[in-house]
Amino acid sequence: METRQTLTFALAGNANVGKSVIFNQLTGLNQIVGNWPGKTVERAEGKLRFKDKDIKVLDLPGIYSLSTFTIEEIVAREYIAIEKPDVIINIIDAAFLERNLYLTLQLLELDVPMVVALNQIDFAAKKGIKIDEKKLSMALGLPVIPTVAITGKGINELLEAAVQVAEGRLKLKPLKVRYGREIEEALEKIKGIIEEELSGLLKIYTSRWLSVKLFEKDEEITRKINLMPQGKEALRKVAEIISEVEKVQGEPSEVILASERYGIIRRIVNESMEIVSPPKIKLEEKLSEITAHGIIGYLVLICVITTMFTAIFYGGNMLIEGLEYVLIDLALPQTRRFLLNLLPEAITSIICDGALMGIVAGVTIALPYIIPFHLILGILEDSGYLPRAAYLMDNLMHKVGLHGKAFIPLIVGYGCSVPACIGCRIMETDRERFICGFEVVLIPCAARTVVILGLVGFYLGIHVALTLYLFNVVLIFLLGKLVYKTLPGEPMGLIMEMPPYKIPSLKNVLVKAWVRTKDFIYIAFPLIVIGSVVIEALKLTGLVWFLAEAMKPLISNWLGLPPVSGIPLIFGVLRKELTLILLSELIKLASLTPTQMIVFSLVTMIYFPCLATIAALLREFGWKKALGIALTDIFLAILIGGITYRLLSL
Amino acid sequence: MPSQNKMIEVLETVKSIEAKKEKPTAEKISKELKLPASEVNEIMEKGVKDGYLAQRDGAFKITQKGIKIVKEHQQKYVHEKMHQIGLIGRITRFLEGKVINWKKHWRERHGLDNHSLQKFYNAIDSLKGRIEETSTIADLDTGEEGKVTFIVGGRGLIRRLSEMGLTPGTKVKIVRNAPFHGPIEIKVRGVSLALGYGVATKVFIKKVKEAN
Ligand SMILES: Nc1nc2c(ncn2[C@@H]2O[C@H](COP(=O)(O)OP(=O)(O)OP(=O)(O)O)[C@@H](O)[C@H]2O)c(=O)[nH]1
Ligand SMILES: [Mg+2]
Repeated sequence: METRQTLTFALAGNANVGKSVIFNQLTGLNQIVGNWPGKTVERAEGKLRFKDKDIKVLDLPGIYSLSTFTIEEIVAREYIAIEKPDVIINIIDAAFLERNLYLTLQLLELDVPMVVALNQIDFAAKKGIKIDEKKLSMALGLPVIPTVAITGKGINELLEAAVQVAEGRLKLKPLKVRYGREIEEALEKIKGIIEEELSGLLKIYTSRWLSVKLFEKDEEITRKINLMPQGKEALRKVAEIISEVEKVQGEPSEVILASERYGIIRRIVNESMEIVSPPKIKLEEKLSEITAHGIIGYLVLICVITTMFTAIFYGGNMLIEGLEYVLIDLALPQTRRFLLNLLPEAITSIICDGALMGIVAGVTIALPYIIPFHLILGILEDSGYLPRAAYLMDNLMHKVGLHGKAFIPLIVGYGCSVPACIGCRIMETDRERFICGFEVVLIPCAARTVVILGLVGFYLGIHVALTLYLFNVVLIFLLGKLVYKTLPGEPMGLIMEMPPYKIPSLKNVLVKAWVRTKDFIYIAFPLIVIGSVVIEALKLTGLVWFLAEAMKPLISNWLGLPPVSGIPLIFGVLRKELTLILLSELIKLASLTPTQMIVFSLVTMIYFPCLATIAALLREFGWKKALGIALTDIFLAILIGGITYRLLSL
Repeated sequence: MPSQNKMIEVLETVKSIEAKKEKPTAEKISKELKLPASEVNEIMEKGVKDGYLAQRDGAFKITQKGIKIVKEHQQKYVHEKMHQIGLIGRITRFLEGKVINWKKHWRERHGLDNHSLQKFYNAIDSLKGRIEETSTIADLDTGEEGKVTFIVGGRGLIRRLSEMGLTPGTKVKIVRNAPFHGPIEIKVRGVSLALGYGVATKVFIKKVKEAN
C-alpha cells in the first residue's frame, strides 16, 4: 500500500485580509467570511488533496504581530512556533501593503518556510495601487503569488508554490531582518546570555528570535524564563543591556524595534509599490462620510435597523401566506386522509397533528423569518457597515464599560447567540468579554425574532414588535450599566481598523445564509418534531392539563397567560422558536389577548438562553458565570413579564 | 520681576538646546522664544540666583533643580491634556487636586507600570523643543496632520498602537472626529484606524504646519 504524505499549511495574516476566503477556496468548507476585522476567533482545520498529497490547512485568527497582546496572538504564535507547520501561507492585503508587511517581517524572524499570497489585488487596483510582485519577492526572498481570493484567481499557483516550498524544491533566500548597529550589538549580547544560561529554550525557538523577543520584553517569553532555574538572573542581565540602548535612543525598546521594522518596510514598499492613478473610489468615501457622520450617521443607523426588521417582517409574512396555503390547506388534509386508510386514528393523529404539524409549523412559522434575516445580516456583514456602526456606538458602549467593537457581537447576536458569544473574544480583556457575553444573550436572536414577529408582529402590528425591540435595547443598556458598576475596572479604549466599503458578493451572502439556515434546519427541525410529538402525546393522554394545573400559579396568576402556555416555555429551553410553534399546537394563537401576546413574547425574549447558548457560555466563561447568567435571565423574565401584565391590564 | 512661567519657558528651551548637544546661550534662547535679549538675560540671571541654572564661561547649564521643575511642568501639561474628557474629566482632575507625587499618581491613577513610566520619562526627557509644542490627536481638527512624538500608557497599549503603525515620527491625518468626545478616525500608513477618545488623548503629536 502506498503511504501518502501529509503536509500542513497554516494561513496567517492580519485581520480581514481574506484568509477565510482562501481557506474556503482551498478546502471547500464554509468558514464565515465578512467585511469586518475579527470574524475568525478559533482556528479551523480543513483537508484537501493536491496531486498525490494530503494537505491539512489551518485558518488562524487575524493577527497584527507576533507579540502577545491578545489571546489570539498567543494561540497563533504558539501554534506556529511549537507545532511547526510545513509551510506558512502569509496572506497580505495588497491595498494596505505597509501595515501588512509588519507581520511578514516578524514571521521572517521566526525562520519558518513561507509563501506570501498578495491578496485583493483587484481592490488595490481600484485604489490605483500597483505592486510589482517580482520586486516584492526579491526583497523578501520569498515566493509572492498575486491572488484574488473571491474569484479564485491565483489559488492554484499559491498551492503549487506552497507544495514546492514544503518539499524544498523551491530554493528560498528569506530576507534576514537586521536592525541598527547598537541594537544588533545588544541582541548579540542577549544571544550570548541565552546560549549560556537558557539553552533549554533553544529546542523550541531559535536564539535570534528569542533575543529579539527578549529585547522587546515579550511577556510570554519572560514568564517562561522566569520559571527556569537561572531565569531571574538572566533576565536581570538582559534588562541592563536593554536599558542602556533605551538611554541612548530615548525610546522604549519595543518602540525602537517597531520603528526599525517600519523603516525596513518603507524601503521594501518604495521599491515594489507604485501609485499609478488616483483612487477611483469616490463613492466609497461618500458612503463612509455619511455613515460615520456625527448626526446623519445615527439617523442612518436607526434607518438601517428599522428597515432590516420591517423587511424581514413583510418578506416573512408573504412567505408565510404562501406556505400556509400550500401546506396547511392543501398538503396536510390530503396526507391525513391518505393515512387514515392505513392506520388507526390515534397513530394518525400523532403523526399528523404531532410530527407533521411540527414540521409544517417549523416551515411556516420559523423559516420565513429566518431566511430573509440571514440574507440581510449577510449583506450588512459583507458591506463593511458594521465597523461604522461600532464607531458610532463607541461612546454609548463606554457607558456600559465596553467600547465600540462590542457592538459587532451584539449585532451578530440578532442572528444567533452562539457565534455572538464566541465573537465576544474580539474584546481585549476577560472583564469586557464577560460583560459583552452577558448582554449578547439578551439580544433577541433570529429564533426569538420568529416569536416576536410571528406573534406580536403578526397579530398586533409591526409597530408593537418594534417597540418590544426598543424596550429590549433599553433593558440591555440598563442591565449592562448595572453589571459594569458591580464589576470594577477601567474600560479599555477603542482601537479598531475601519475596512473600506465593498460591494457584497452575492455568492458569499447566499452561501452564508444557507450555512446558517442549514444549522437551523439540522438542529431545530428534529427538536421541533420531537417536541410536537411529545406535546401531542401529552394532549392525548390528558397529562397536559395536569401539568398546566401545576404551573398555574406562576403562568396564570403571575404572568396572566393561559395555563398550558407554560409547557411550550419549558420546551423553549431547547430552541426558542419551539415556544411559539408548540403554543400554536396547543391553542389557537388568535385567541390570545394582546396583553398575553406581549407578555409571552417578552418572557421568551428574556427568560433563558437556549441549550446551545448555555453550552457556548460554559465554554467561554466557565460554569459559575454561565449559571449566573442563566439564573439572572430567568428571574428577570418572570419579573418583567409579571410587571408588564399588571401594567397593561390597568 | 520675571514670572515663573517665563522661567520655565526659558529652562525648557535650555534643556532642549542641550538635548541637541549644543551650547545654550542667551542669544539662542532669545531667538527661539522670540523674546528681547534683555528680558532673557534678566530671567537667566534670576535662574542662576535661584539655582536653576549654572553659568560657566558665557554658556548656561541647567541644574538638577532646574530639571526638576521643568519635568514637573511637563508632566502637568501632559496630565492636563489627558484629562480633557468633558466635564467629568475636568471634575476628576479637580478632585484629584494638586498632584505632589507624580510618580505615584501615574502609577495609581493612570495604570502605568514602572516600566512604562520610565519610558514616558525618557520620552519627555529627549523631547526636542518645548512641551507646549506637542498636543494630542484629540486636539487636532478634521484634515489636520501631526507626527507622533510619544504615547502615554501601559505596555499593552503602546505596543498595540506601534504595531498598528503609530510609531514615533509617523504621520497621522485626522479623517473624522465624532461629536461629544466620540472616537476619532485617523489615517496612518494608508490604513483607517478608529481610536476611542480616551486612547486619542494618550497619543501625543507635533502638529504639522500646513503648506500655506
Ligand atoms: N475585492 C476582494 N475582496 C476580497 C478578496 N479576498 C477577500 N475579500 C473580502 O475581504 C473580506 C474579508 O475576508 P475574510 O476571508 O473574511 O477575511 P479574514 O482574513 O478571514 O478575516 P478575519 O477572520 O476577521 O481575520 C470579505 O468581505 C471578502 O469578501 C479579494 O481578493 N478581492
Ligand atoms: Mg477569517
